[in-house]
Amino acid sequence: MPVKVAQSSFRDRTQEFLSVAERLKKSITSGSNQNGPSSSSSRPEDKRSVAAHQSEFNRRASKVGLGIHQTSQKLSKLAKLAKRTSVFDDPTMEIQELTAVIKQDITALNSAVVDLQLFCNSRTEGGVSSDTSSHSTTVVDDLKNRLMSTTKEFKDVLTMRTENLKVHENRRQLFSSTASKDSPNPFVRQRPLAAAKSAAGASNNLPQWANGSASSSQLFPRKQVDGESQPLLPQHQQQQQQMVPLQDSYMQSRAEALQNVESTIHELGTIFNQLATLVSQQGEIAIRIDENMDDTLANVEGAQGALLKYLNSISSNRWLMIKIFFVLILFLMFFLFFVA
Amino acid sequence: MKITSLLILKCHPEGSDPIILANASDVSHFGYFQRSSIREFIVFVSRTVAKRTPPGQRQSVQHEGGLHFVVDFISSLEYMVHSYNRNGLCAIGFMDGHYPVRSAFSLLNQMLDEYQKSFGESWRTAQADSTQNWPYLDEALTKFQDPAEADKLLKIQRELDETKIILHKTIDSVLARGEKLDSLVEKSSDLSAASQMFYNQAKRNNQCCSIL
Repeated sequence: MPVKVAQSSFRDRTQEFLSVAERLKKSITSGSNQNGPSSSSSRPEDKRSVAAHQSEFNRRASKVGLGIHQTSQKLSKLAKLAKRTSVFDDPTMEIQELTAVIKQDITALNSAVVDLQLFCNSRTEGGVSSDTSSHSTTVVDDLKNRLMSTTKEFKDVLTMRTENLKVHENRRQLFSSTASKDSPNPFVRQRPLAAAKSAAGASNNLPQWANGSASSSQLFPRKQVDGESQPLLPQHQQQQQQMVPLQDSYMQSRAEALQNVESTIHELGTIFNQLATLVSQQGEIAIRIDENMDDTLANVEGAQGALLKYLNSISSNRWLMIKIFFVLILFLMFFLFFVA
Repeated sequence: MKITSLLILKCHPEGSDPIILANASDVSHFGYFQRSSIREFIVFVSRTVAKRTPPGQRQSVQHEGGLHFVVDFISSLEYMVHSYNRNGLCAIGFMDGHYPVRSAFSLLNQMLDEYQKSFGESWRTAQADSTQNWPYLDEALTKFQDPAEADKLLKIQRELDETKIILHKTIDSVLARGEKLDSLVEKSSDLSAASQMFYNQAKRNNQCCSIL
């Protein structure tokens, strides 16, 4: 079992840790006398509390892992049951019980993993090394992943079971279309009515109608009366029993429909709120874009002005003439001074 | 989802046969030769069911008649007969199995209200089956083939679902708009940076190294 192996590996690490702590304690007490005992006594206490924490963590983690393993075993049993349902021998009760049990287990394991994670986070203030904390976070992540895969398998098994049910309904309808309509719609309120009526009246009705078609139309209503009164009488008793539940279920269905409408409206409200948030965020982005474009405009206008000035300064010859004149005067002066 | 027939009957609590006050049937989807017999069948079953519906109660009966009239027509019809008895006035509807029960009963409710509004209390004195047609019933038969018309809740639910779908599409398009706005903001910031460099370059052009 993988859990046992993991457990033994935790235990090993703890022993190593304790031996390292012993060695360190020895090396420290050899160095300093006064501080040695106090620090070493506090250090093993620390280490012991850390070790206690670690073993507590280990115990919980191993329990969670064991739970996950057992749940996956139950899940495989459920999958086998769901696969093998034949048309007539349907272990619906067992399947439903098993489904409920597995669901409970999964929720319990979920909460246990969350507790484990909180526990692991809360104990990192004890001055432990980063190795232990990363180790414990890895363990928690591994357990979470295993739980997630188990939940996914559970969902697959449930979908497979509903598909199987549908296939069986279709086959049942194919083989027994008129005689027994009791199984295909388990949600029809009048199932007991229909079952009673069909059981009592199916055999009566068919010959009655068949005879009715053969005979003349005047005999027909009379035979109808005879045929219908018989199955209706046993049906009447059932009707009496079904009346009150029918009233109730009618009211219940109305209440249910109202609740559906209310929840839909509520969802619509949340959707509108989200929409408003999104649009307001995008409004900020739009304002930023606008500012960027304004900056760009200002920059480009300034650059255009600078370029115009440059153009002016290039196209005017004033400075050039002044410089040439200056150079000529210089040479004149030079020649005047040296020649004359 | 089909309504085949709507009837209003007057029920005696003494157990005698109820009296038909109004009848609207749509037997067009049966074969021509079956129609009259189906009409009689409807009348008979409605009398029986109304007789057995106690006052102030609602009732649904699922009838699986194998109506093998002619061999090559559709033989087995699944019917649901819904009946609602209110103070001696009984409304009955023949629907197929897919029509939702709640809409059926709200339709019967509406029928009874309309009947009482238009005919008042005169029906209490009726002794024989009335043969005249009540046009409202015929209209109702055609109008309420769609159960959403009869049941306001169903209509509201349907509209709400459509609205939800539209809102989902809206949110998707708003998200796409957000992405486009993000790309626009990046491009505009690049543009602003480039224009700034352009401006500095032009300014530097003008300043030092004057034309020599």
